[in-house]
Amino acid sequence: MKYLPEIIIALITIIAAPIIGGLLTGLDRKLTARMQNRIGPPLLQPFYDFFKLLGKEKITLNQTQMVYVLCYLLFAIMALIMLVFKQDLLMLVFILTFSNLSLVVGATSVRSPFSKIGAQREIIQMVAYEPVILMMTVGIYLTTKSFMIESIFQHDQPMIANLPLVFLAFVFVLTIKLKKSPFDFSTSHHGHQELVKGITTEFSGLQLALIEMTDWYDLVLLLGMISLFFAKPLWVGILIALASYFLEIVIDNISARVTWRWMLKIVWLFGIGAALTNIIWLYARR
Amino acid sequence: METYLLLAIAILLPVLCAGLCSVIRGRTGRSIIVTAALLVMSVVAVLLVGRITAAGGKLALGLESPIDFNLIVEILDIALIVYIIYIGFSLKKMLISTLASIQLAIVLLFEIFGSVKEPEKVFMLDYLSLIMVLLVSIVGPLVAVFALGYMQEHEEHQHMKKSRQPRFFVIIFIFLGAMNGLVITNNLMWMGFFWEVTTVCSFLLISHDRTEEAVRNGIRALWINLVGGIAFVLGIVMIYSVSGTLAIDEIVSARPGAAFAGLLPIGLGMLCLAGFTKSAQFPFQSWLLGAMVAPTPVSGLLHSSTMVKAGVYLVVRFAPAFAGTILGTIVAVVGGFTFVVGSALAISQRNAKRVLAYSTIANLGLIICCAGIGTNIALGAAMLLIVFHAISKGLLFLCVGTIEHGIGSRDIEDMQGLMKKMPFTTVITVIGMISMLLPPFGVLMTKWLAIEAAVHLPIVLVLIIIGSAFTVFFWAKWIGIILTMSYKTSMHVEKLKVSVKTALSVLTLFVLSASILIVPLFNTFVAPQLSMDALGDASSLTSGNGGIWLGNGNTLNMGGFASIGFFIVLFAIVLTIPIFIRRTKPEKIKPPYMGGENVNDDIRGIEFTGPGDKVESVIVHNYYFKNLLGEERLTLVVNLIAGAIIMIMFGVVI
Amino acid sequence: MGNIFQNIISKSRKKSPWIVHFDCNSCNGCDIETLACLTPLYDVERFGIVNVGNPKHADVLVVTGSVNNRNVRALKNIYNQIPEPKAVVAVGACACSGGVFKECYNVLGGIDQVLPVDVYVPGCCPRPEAIIDGIVMAVGKMDEKAAKMKESRNLEAVND
Repeated sequence: MKYLPEIIIALITIIAAPIIGGLLTGLDRKLTARMQNRIGPPLLQPFYDFFKLLGKEKITLNQTQMVYVLCYLLFAIMALIMLVFKQDLLMLVFILTFSNLSLVVGATSVRSPFSKIGAQREIIQMVAYEPVILMMTVGIYLTTKSFMIESIFQHDQPMIANLPLVFLAFVFVLTIKLKKSPFDFSTSHHGHQELVKGITTEFSGLQLALIEMTDWYDLVLLLGMISLFFAKPLWVGILIALASYFLEIVIDNISARVTWRWMLKIVWLFGIGAALTNIIWLYARR
Repeated sequence: METYLLLAIAILLPVLCAGLCSVIRGRTGRSIIVTAALLVMSVVAVLLVGRITAAGGKLALGLESPIDFNLIVEILDIALIVYIIYIGFSLKKMLISTLASIQLAIVLLFEIFGSVKEPEKVFMLDYLSLIMVLLVSIVGPLVAVFALGYMQEHEEHQHMKKSRQPRFFVIIFIFLGAMNGLVITNNLMWMGFFWEVTTVCSFLLISHDRTEEAVRNGIRALWINLVGGIAFVLGIVMIYSVSGTLAIDEIVSARPGAAFAGLLPIGLGMLCLAGFTKSAQFPFQSWLLGAMVAPTPVSGLLHSSTMVKAGVYLVVRFAPAFAGTILGTIVAVVGGFTFVVGSALAISQRNAKRVLAYSTIANLGLIICCAGIGTNIALGAAMLLIVFHAISKGLLFLCVGTIEHGIGSRDIEDMQGLMKKMPFTTVITVIGMISMLLPPFGVLMTKWLAIEAAVHLPIVLVLIIIGSAFTVFFWAKWIGIILTMSYKTSMHVEKLKVSVKTALSVLTLFVLSASILIVPLFNTFVAPQLSMDALGDASSLTSGNGGIWLGNGNTLNMGGFASIGFFIVLFAIVLTIPIFIRRTKPEKIKPPYMGGENVNDDIRGIEFTGPGDKVESVIVHNYYFKNLLGEERLTLVVNLIAGAIIMIMFGVVI
Repeated sequence: MGNIFQNIISKSRKKSPWIVHFDCNSCNGCDIETLACLTPLYDVERFGIVNVGNPKHADVLVVTGSVNNRNVRALKNIYNQIPEPKAVVAVGACACSGGVFKECYNVLGGIDQVLPVDVYVPGCCPRPEAIIDGIVMAVGKMDEKAAKMKESRNLEAVND
């Protein structure tokens, strides 16, 4: 029973993360409604949706859809647990890619034009944000001499002191990762429905519920990654992460959607540009 | 003495098989020869592993016999070049004759006036050569086994009257023998000879079908590789003039210090250039793309364990000689650039074999990039990538060949719904693709190592990062297409030739086991080789360097998870598939949503009612970005840039 | 334990009706009023109602306009794609009975000629309050439908 504490921590993470993520999503919907001068749904609305979906008929299009959904969920959980145990950041990013890719393959595995095009757009989004996230890990490596998240906590300065531009770039791609407007073209939300529901069109009932839950895990994970920039003390990081989340909600509400060409251009130019500038100056300073 | 025997078998057995193939022209006889060659060559390769390990990782052997083997090889070499000149004349391609003549002149001048001191130790085996021997002797004959069934179908498709299969297998075996010789020898001149043999063999194999296109592409492969050949001999001359030896191990172990000036860096640069041409780095990529017209086993062979790997082997072999110098850095940039551009161009391709070709070019670029970085981690990554890439890519080419025979097309878009027609091949293809880009498979692990290694070179780092983002793009598109399926009550059982099925299954097994056994692989082959190379940063071999497993003992610590745990999770998920298949009942199946315009209750949902009540079928294509990343648009520009980088490389070292 | 879980699901069902809105043959009057429900003034999201626009995700099918020979196929198709438990709300006079088009040569009549309608929202056009009320009433029938769904599933199991 050497690993008992670790197992308990992992279990707590697995249970607590979706609760936090769901509450944050509820808060998001509430805030969005307030910004639009509406009253909005109750805070627990995401959970109501989730449980309702559990009670729906389990329809499917082929035998494999559910497998991809499970992959999506399990690898997202895996990535989150790696974050909690302060493990290798680079590997975490790769596992996150794996998780995302399963959803993409799941969406293309059915013969639905909407979900296929949604999946293509999702891949484009991945191509847009992957380099920035990888550069973030490299920036952290250049500061701490290690890819381990552990080392961030041992470093005497918060990351933001050395990586301000990388941080901005990361917050920028966070919009894509959270599928918020102006970059929500793989899964539409709000009234944007030109692709019906894009990548999630053909998932329903339990599958959709699991996808929503994975999004909650992802949300917690991403906010956790933001708080890494301010780790020490951790609560500052968490506050900043929440503030960034609020910022995302504001951006979501004030911006119209862009096309993927715009997205690639903007993200590659400003996102990668900013991150690269930061990395070059770190490199030059050493 | 027994070791000599093993080496002789490794090099000469394929040649013997080639002879047998040309004599025994029946199908049964050929099958027996190929199968026997597979068994004997793999056993020999495995026995060699024991020898090397017993000898402490390096085995240098001299030949003490009355026969002057050096002379024989020289004569063969010159004969070969003369044969190339003859090819040039017979095809009326003066370019080829001219290039070969230049090479002949250099070789003759060098042999006559150079008063060459041949090295005593003719053979040198260390773990790097051993990895290559294992790949050549196991993957190579496996491809040959695949070709047994494939070539028969191929000739049926081509409506050939007279079978040309004996010729095909003769060349394949000579090729394998030459590859084994190339990686075992310690004499640069010998290496040059084997190098030319692979060039000629690849020409013969590419133009095997004798169509106009095949011959044209064969000629292109020949002249580009002849340019490389000239660079190779020039490199030999320059290096010999500085270091006075042709022994590879002595050249490599001479540390670059104050002595890294004069002709030595240019010589090494020439060897790298030769490596670039052979492993189809930009701007020399066109021959490898042209090679796609050849029958699939040829592409499988050229791309996986032989030919292109000879190029990267050369660069990795000499990497310690220029580790940490400006030459190394620029080599890394060349490789990184190829990685990015190769991956980007792969996005725009619809032809499955071309996608694989660009992916090969990109991965070779990554290997060369790692070799150029030249730290312990980087060289480790390069060696591992050679292994993983060879197995996975070999598998993928064979899969595409099988698919092509199954559906009569190599267009990716035509592979939609492949699961219905060829479930076995589809599953294996997907395993192959996943092993190219996702954790916990080996290729991703090496990419991880490469990023760690490149951290100190920002330009290279950016190239690797952007390249790996592109990689995800084209693989994901393709996986999505071939996994598209609608509900099936029962799976179609696929009929494949025994040899094809065997080769695919065995290679899949290799892909999986190599990735699962990555740690033993690293500890037995890569780590000892690195410690022998004795590069500067020896500490990285022993210290627990973050999540990387270097020095972390016997488990690959994959960011907190032992990689084996990762595989268990994956297998658990895969095992759930049958459960879902059993529990999915027909009454729960619904057709896809099509705005309510589905024609009928057909659960596949491939038709909808269009305007005017016309029945239309749904066709959704992937994005290819032809306008952005098309070959027509990019090739010229990137070739110019790549050429400029190589110019800079020589400009800097002169 | 299972009971508690069932209770949670049943409670959630009432709190999260996702609608898909299908315009059969409407003059757009009812559609405008339906969409008006989403505006800040009426804000149906208060009740968890979201217009998902995808039958695979929806619980309630909101139909405006009468059914005619052209659109009956699409209407049935969309209804079939909604996973159980599901409800149908006919909004407006045309959807309820065919309205002024009732006697037309090409009109079949109200939605109930084709689908089992759960709630009729009369009016030409109905006020948004009435539509919201209709949807909430439909949600009230969800448990009953879920029980039916379970029953038929059990029946299937017995037949197996």
